[in-house]
Amino acid sequence: MMKYANYIILFFLLSVGILLKDHIHISTNLLSLFATKESIEKFNIANNLGYSKEMLVVVKGFDKDSKKKVRELRKKLQTLPYVKFIYSSVVPSAQIQEYYQHSYPLIALFDDTNMSREDLHAQLQKLYDAQATNVFYSSINKNDPLALFELQKRKQSSLSHKGDLLTLGEYGYLIRVTTDVSASQMKEAKELYTDLKAILVEYDDVLAFAPFFYTVENSSKIQADVQWIVALSSLVLLLLYYLLIKNIKLLWHTLFALSSSMLFASLLCTLFFENFHLLSLAFGMSLTAVSIDYLLHYHFHHFYQSRKRIDKNVLLGYLTTLVAFALFSFIPIPLIAQISFFALLSLSCAFFLFTFIFPKLDIKKYEHSTQRSYRKERKKVPAFVFSLFSLVLLVYSALHFKLDTNLRNLDYYNVNLQDTEKLLKEHSSSKLSAVIVDAKTKDELLSNLHQVDEFSAESFSFATFVLDQESCLKKKNQLQRYDFKNLGTMVNEEADKIGFKQGYFKDAYHFATPLPECEIPDLKIFESFGLFLYHDAQNYYTIAFVNEVQKLKELPFVKSIDLKESFDRSTQEMYDHLVFFGSLVLLFIFIMLFLSVRGRIFYALNYILFPLALTLAILVSLDSVNIMHLFSLIILVAIGIDYGIYMSNSQKPSNTILAVKYSLLSTFAAFGVLIFSTIVALNSIGIVITLGCGAIFILIKVMR
Amino acid sequence: MIRTLLVFLLLVRCAFADTYHFTEIRYSDATELSTQLEGEIDFHEHGLDIKYPKSARELKYKNNTLVYLEENKEIALEEVQASQIMQYFDVLILLHNGDESELQEIFEIHNSAEKTLLKPKGTLKYYIDTIELFQEQKRLKRVKLFLKNNDEISIDIDDEIR
Repeated sequence: MMKYANYIILFFLLSVGILLKDHIHISTNLLSLFATKESIEKFNIANNLGYSKEMLVVVKGFDKDSKKKVRELRKKLQTLPYVKFIYSSVVPSAQIQEYYQHSYPLIALFDDTNMSREDLHAQLQKLYDAQATNVFYSSINKNDPLALFELQKRKQSSLSHKGDLLTLGEYGYLIRVTTDVSASQMKEAKELYTDLKAILVEYDDVLAFAPFFYTVENSSKIQADVQWIVALSSLVLLLLYYLLIKNIKLLWHTLFALSSSMLFASLLCTLFFENFHLLSLAFGMSLTAVSIDYLLHYHFHHFYQSRKRIDKNVLLGYLTTLVAFALFSFIPIPLIAQISFFALLSLSCAFFLFTFIFPKLDIKKYEHSTQRSYRKERKKVPAFVFSLFSLVLLVYSALHFKLDTNLRNLDYYNVNLQDTEKLLKEHSSSKLSAVIVDAKTKDELLSNLHQVDEFSAESFSFATFVLDQESCLKKKNQLQRYDFKNLGTMVNEEADKIGFKQGYFKDAYHFATPLPECEIPDLKIFESFGLFLYHDAQNYYTIAFVNEVQKLKELPFVKSIDLKESFDRSTQEMYDHLVFFGSLVLLFIFIMLFLSVRGRIFYALNYILFPLALTLAILVSLDSVNIMHLFSLIILVAIGIDYGIYMSNSQKPSNTILAVKYSLLSTFAAFGVLIFSTIVALNSIGIVITLGCGAIFILIKVMR
Repeated sequence: MIRTLLVFLLLVRCAFADTYHFTEIRYSDATELSTQLEGEIDFHEHGLDIKYPKSARELKYKNNTLVYLEENKEIALEEVQASQIMQYFDVLILLHNGDESELQEIFEIHNSAEKTLLKPKGTLKYYIDTIELFQEQKRLKRVKLFLKNNDEISIDIDDEIR
């Protein structure tokens, strides 16, 4: 029965996988892997406020053809799914016009200086004369001939426009499309993206951009890339295992054991994590392949033929790695937590299978095919030299260390989309950034928005259109104190004297009495301007577009949603977490080494220090170091520890060297292929592990 | 009806082919007076230019930017005023281009034997009540705008400048 245990375990796991397949969800949204819980919450609010759901379509130029394209595109875009509003003109919607008409005296600026009869007469005379002398037509506002009221144009003009049409600086006309699709909604994003591309293919000189384009384009690239990498890695490993083990039965069982370990970890991780990422899966699977070093060590030291229940060195190596990953799984960065948890499960499963199941499989004893010659000990370099050299390299690295905080750089390098985004930013004359403003009530929200408005030289929000209760009542009071009745009478008397049509101004300033109530209008009417209101159980939220984000941070109700700033902060937090947990892991490793190798501690420590120092020194010499480089360096430490223990405690050095070399080759085959990935996150791992394997190989060859 | 409109628009295009002399008569309801102006209008690819030679004044409208010149000196216009003029020019360009789909999008169109009536549908309806287009011997001869404030603007196209 035990002879078939390896098959039964895999069959059992496969059956569980098939049964649970509807509950298994794998995410491909790369950025969600790096965002902290707090920033995810903030982005969720921003998403509910339409932020990042906006799509920009830009038509190059301002000639009549461009105008025609804008008109046609507006029509076509309206037919697309998930499109809520299309906004290409500064002309307010009918609903906003209605609101203006109703609340005009309250929202318009009012000049309350009392006008003398002489001044009033002179102003009306000027109007009268202009009708006959102006070469261009100018209309007379019969309700406010003295132009005492003026709608605040200043802030709306921050929206760049030519005539009525919105523009992107001097580049061309701009169409702003508010959609229902956020960057995390893959299905909807794909649908809208495909339909949009089908429209745009007919037009030259038209660009489109939305944050969800990255989701669609990058996700298909990531999927293709990961599939290719996994296939390549599997093929290389398969070939390598056969060449190393040269025992079809053992190879067969090894593949079953590794598959079971990967499946076991995949099942638990996809069920445990709400958004388990495809990258974590790919990386975790590669990491599982590292567990082959347990098998190689057992096989080359004839463990399966001995009656020993456990090999002390393998157990120590496994436990050290296990604790290292267990510590890392507490890091509050989804990607690192996911990979560490996966590794913890898969390595444990592999250790269990290789240690307790494989001895029952009647595996043939390993025979050396040829007698290998090893370099004489005296020709080798003493361990302390490597320790010193490693310290020098670490000091060099510390002096040249530069952290790349832009998480976008870890994603697939989508040159076209990045160029479009850059072009849009460069040509945009408005340099306004979005901030979230919150409050307990709608009125408090408006009041907060007006404070934001005062702080920021330029801003665009509900405050551009709507007064808060206090200002409204103040304005009402100011207007009620003004004698519009007398003004109206004077206007009519003087207009008659000048020769205006009898009674032309009979309704002048009637709109200012009686005044409308100070009520907050239905804020939904401003959605066409990209302004949204969202509320949860506690708060009301909206977005304000401002140009003084730094200054506004003093206000407690303002939260920045600047992506770059948020990325910088979360990368710094990740870095701090990594340094903290990395130090814990190193301390633990040091204690483990001291306990397990005692006198040869420097020799064993070099298997951690040297790969770490050499790889880091090369990385800092080439470019800035990203968060995935750092994480891979720690993985390297976890791998190095196994080799350090095996090499220091080995009774049969030649067999140990062989096991470590083969294991290194297998690690290189599993991770080295990641160098070919176009996703920077994967490529970074590939570079670090490859360099690290090279460094360990040097140690095996030349250290004594 | 669409066919009649298409033929008509084609004629409008021909009539507005280059540069024209025109006579503009403006009726102001406020003063109950009419003002007559004579000038030249030139439709070009990116907009239009209007010259009033007698008063040495000129308006240049290109790529949605308006410039007003008095004796070749640029005079700044108030934003509201500039916006009104540009809207008016946009209507003239629209009529000149004779783009059927654009006109149908913005106006309800009613044809009769001697004239075509355009009723604005969108935001233009806040300023313009009706536009009348008159033709004579299959050529556009007059455009009349009836504004919401009871003012009227009538443009008679005199001859084409070759």
